[in-house]
This record gives sequence, structure tokens and C-alpha cells, in this order.
Amino acid sequence: MKIKSKLMTATICLASIASSSIADNIKVGFNVPLTGFAAADGTSALNGAELAVEQINTAGGINGNMMELVVYDDQASPKEAVPIAQKLIESDNVVAAVSGSYSGATRAAAGIFQESGVPYISAYAIHPDITRAGDYVFRTSFVGEVQGRAGAKLAGEMLGLKKAVVVTLQNDFGKSLVAGFKEVSANYGIEIVGEYEYSIKDRQFGPIVSKIRADNPDVIYATGYFFTAGPLVSQLRAAGINTTIIGQEGYDSQKFIDIAGPAAEGTIITTSLDRDSTAVETQDFITAFEAKSGNKTDMVAASAHTAIKVLAAALQSSGDADKAALRDAIAGTQLTASTGEISFNGLGEVQKSVQVQVVKDGQWHHHSVIHDAALLAPPTE
Amino acid sequence: MLYLELFFQGIVQGSIYALIALGLTLVYGLLRILHVAHAALFTLGGYLGVIITNATGSFLLATAVAMIVVGFVGIAVYKLAYEPLLSKPPFISLIASIALFIASEEIFRIIFGPYGLSYTNPPMQGYFELFGGFFLKYGEALVIALSVVMLVILGWFAAATRLGVSWRATVTDPDMARAFGINTQNVRYMNFFIGSALAAAAGVFVAMLNNLVEPSMGSVASYKALAIIVLGGLGSIRGTLIAAMAIGIIESFGTIYIGHLLDRDALAFAFLIVVLMIRPQGLLGAK
Repeated sequence: MKIKSKLMTATICLASIASSSIADNIKVGFNVPLTGFAAADGTSALNGAELAVEQINTAGGINGNMMELVVYDDQASPKEAVPIAQKLIESDNVVAAVSGSYSGATRAAAGIFQESGVPYISAYAIHPDITRAGDYVFRTSFVGEVQGRAGAKLAGEMLGLKKAVVVTLQNDFGKSLVAGFKEVSANYGIEIVGEYEYSIKDRQFGPIVSKIRADNPDVIYATGYFFTAGPLVSQLRAAGINTTIIGQEGYDSQKFIDIAGPAAEGTIITTSLDRDSTAVETQDFITAFEAKSGNKTDMVAASAHTAIKVLAAALQSSGDADKAALRDAIAGTQLTASTGEISFNGLGEVQKSVQVQVVKDGQWHHHSVIHDAALLAPPTE
Repeated sequence: MLYLELFFQGIVQGSIYALIALGLTLVYGLLRILHVAHAALFTLGGYLGVIITNATGSFLLATAVAMIVVGFVGIAVYKLAYEPLLSKPPFISLIASIALFIASEEIFRIIFGPYGLSYTNPPMQGYFELFGGFFLKYGEALVIALSVVMLVILGWFAAATRLGVSWRATVTDPDMARAFGINTQNVRYMNFFIGSALAAAAGVFVAMLNNLVEPSMGSVASYKALAIIVLGGLGSIRGTLIAAMAIGIIESFGTIYIGHLLDRDALAFAFLIVVLMIRPQGLLGAK
């Protein structure tokens, strides 16, 4: 009896120790705009990230532990992102974090994570200063300038359009894209005949549309998100302006097509998601995302999914080791994800080809790919 | 032709601002309350316009229904947020108004979703081309035309009908009006109904021009309408209309020619500051 009860106690103790370590979830922070003007993108990014976590946990987790996403709504605001970063680090004790948010918020949070030595991956925020915060900050999508340069090559060389009007969204995102475009536009024989700016709250572009008609360009390079680009493209076409419009990943959403309607046909964008890709990772992601969320997928969801997968792979290989080892594991990533081949340079920037998509029959489809290692080289400092 | 087009774009935008700011002026004139929540009615009008047009296919029906429904919602806002607070200092109502507005943005997000709504068949696509080179979209022309019609009807109503006269009397001197047997309660309801209906029309027009309504579409309208009524002179209807047009035109030219220095809102407010420095009572305000 005594031996039996001792054995029982011992077994129960061992079992509880074992189960408590199995119940240790790996906490990963995720700041994302769920309310405010960017809520639509944020909701999509969250769905992408949650899908990744589900897939990872269903496949057994990370070295047996389940991954847990600690989500905070940052309203895409730097003022909100900073206390959220502090909270994730100090009270939630996350091992690392991913930003599902825009550049303004991500830039602010990156500094906090770098200072505390917690790895931080920017899923789709493109401002160059984000990775300059330090060696603990990484980015799984292109820097704004790189995408802008790709846009110039697309317009000037691949499509042969030389007279351009540039419409810039006045924020980190829009400005960095246009900076890249203008940096190399002369190399492709592009002449910029008009430059206009608008704020993220604008939806009425009547004056800009009138002026563009007067400028009479071959191509319009317009930066924005789907909720600004949709109205802009719709208004341009309603005014009878049929010039080719080149956008970027901010347009990359079914919502852009919903807003612009038939006006969206023929819009071309540089982005990182190829819906017609034959790559297994991309197709699996698209199918799984549409099944889970009921919506069509978009770039922010794919990018958030990619960032979580990168982090999970690094956690898997660095094991229980400390955050410095995790950082090194992320730095050494070689992973094929829904948005392409991910590997990082010394600054934490990714080097990959730029996908070009076009709206055909009310859906995004493959248009072309831009492989140009020299043009698309990310910054190294 | 470009300058003429930019001028007309300014008139279009100015008309929309006028329709919104007018409701604000009417409430201020009657109750001395800054009705920030007015912008929520603008947004509601926009949503109803899109939803009803998508459901019935008729843009004009949607506009009429939106105006009427939002008119009544405006009365409800008065009863909910202002009537109980009339005896308190005006800043209390202002706080209630701001709170209601902030809540409304999130209520719209909860009810209608974060993604915004668009027309399934955008109405009024296409444009006029006049005198060889002057372009104006059908939608833009409609906005100008309908705004003029509404303002003319409103003006006639205020001047030539019994209800209109009793309304103006109540604004000028509520106690005297009451002494003449005018039901000031009804006048207030009518005031909110009309102001809100105009804001709803503005919302429907904006939805038609942009093909997008979003929960936060009222945020710019909320503070810009305030700026417009201050610019025009608090309580002056004519001042509000002139200020609205002025801001519309300044934004139109400004965004093209000095857009790299100041964004649209900054331009509007810079203009407001300059005018107030010269005329602190606003363009047509009483000294």
C-alpha cells in the first residue's frame, strides 16, 4: 500500500511537471490595426497570422509547444504602438513579435523591441528606417524604395511608357515608394510631367483628376491603399482617363476591385503575392486562407502568414535557447513561404523578386515577374 | 479650361461642405451647441444611400429615403444627447456630442464591417464635355444642381411658409416666439430634422462621387464643418455658405499647386487662421 501510494504520488508529480512544461505556450506578440482607418487591412493580416499559428500548432507546434499569438490593436498609430510594444515585452513576456501594422506604428515599436533585445519582424510595413532600428529587426517584404524602383522598370522598360504622372500618398508608405521610383526613373527614359500629393484621409480626387487630364501622361504611378486607390482609379476612369495605372501592394486586395468596380480592369501593381503561382506554399496558403476567413486573400494576409512562418522556423531551430540565439536563427532563415523565398541580408532585409499582378475579369492575376538582383538589392545599412 | 475645371471642382466640394456645415450652423443658431455628432449623420446618410441603391437600383429613391430616415435620427440625437442637457453649460453638450461621434464611428464599424461599402452599380458614371475641353462628371454636375435646389427650397421655406417664419422667430427670440404660441419644441425637432437631412444628402453625394463609404468617413467632416462655421461667422447662414465655397475652391487649387507643402486639411485651416487674424468674427459674423 505504502509503496503503491508513493508510486502514485511520484507519478502524479512527474505527470504534472511534464504537462506544465507541455502547457508552456510560446508567446509571440502581434500588433495590428483592428480599429481605426486601417482596420480592414489589420483584420486581414490577423487572419493570415492566425492561420499560420493554427497550421503550426496542428502540425505539432514548435518542439512540442503550442504557439500563442498575443494580439493588440494598435490602430496603425505610433502613439498606440509604443505602449503595446512595452506591454508585450514587460508583462506578456513574448519571445518575439511580428508587426501586422503599417509603417508609422511599426517604426515606433521597432525601436522598443530593439532596445530590449526582442526579435521583431515587420510583415509588410515598408519604411526603410524600420530595420535600421537594429539587428533584432527584420522585414519579410520589400523596402518601399525597392518596390518603387521595380515600378519604374515596369513602366519605362517593360511597358515602354515614358511620360509619367506621380501621385503620392503623404505618409511613410507612399513617400518611400515614390522615392524609389524617382531614383531610377531617368534610367528607363521616364519623364515625370506632374507630381501630386494627397493625404490618407482624402477620397475625393476631382482636382487631381482634372490636372492629370491636362498633363496627358502615358502612365500614372499612384501610391496608396485600396481605400484611396479604389476611389482614385474609379474617379479617373469615370472622367474618361484611360491611361495605364501602376500601383503597388497597397492596392493588393479584393476590396480595391470591389470599390473601383469595372474601372479596376487593367490596373497593374507591384506586389509580393502571385495568385497564379504554381508554388505549393502559395497555393496552399491561398486555399487555406479562403477556407478559413471566407474572403479572398491579399498581400497583408500573405505577408503576416509568411512572417509567422519565418519566426516559427527560427524558434524550431533555436530551441529553448535565449533571444540572441533566436535572432541569429531568424537571420539565417532560408524558407519558401507564400510570398516567395525568404532570406535576410545583414540589415534584416529580404531579397526576392517582385511580382506584378493585373486586374483581369474582376480578379488579380499574374502579369509578370521582375528579377533584377541589382535593381532590387535591398539596402545594407 | 483647367482653371475653370478646378474652380468647378471647388464648387462641388464646397457644395458638399455647405450641406454639412449648414446643419451645424442651424443647430448653433438655435441652441448655441456645437453639434460635432452631426458628422455621424453624414456618415449614416452615406451608408443608407449605398445600401438602398444596391437594394433597389434607384439612386434618387435612396437619396430621398436616406434624407428622411437620417432626419428622424437627427431628432433622436437631439432628444438623447442635447435635450436633457439644455440647462447645463454648453460645453457639457459639446462633450456629449463628441462622445456620441466617437461612439458612432465604432458603431458603424460593428454594424457595417470595417471594410467599407461600395455601389454594386456605380451611378452617374460618365461626363459632359463642353466648349471643347471643359469636362465635368455627371455626378459632379448633379451634386451642384441638387445642392442649389435644396438651398433654394430651404430659403423659400424659411422666408415664405408659416413653419419657416416660426422657425426664424424662435432662433431670434425664443421667449417672444413662445409668447406668440409657437411650439419651440417642434421648432427644435424641425431644425434637427432639416440639418440632418441635408447632412445625409451630403453623405449620399460623397458616396456617389467616391464609390466608397467607410465608418470613419465623418472624421474630416466633423472638424472641417466646425472650421467652416467659425470661418463664416458663428450663426450666420450666408457666412457658412460663402465659407464652404471658399474652402472648397482653396482646397481645389491648393492641392494641385501647393499640395507638396500643405495637405488639403492644412490648407483649409491655414486659410481659416489667416481670415480670423484679420476678421476675428469670421467672414460675415456679427462684431
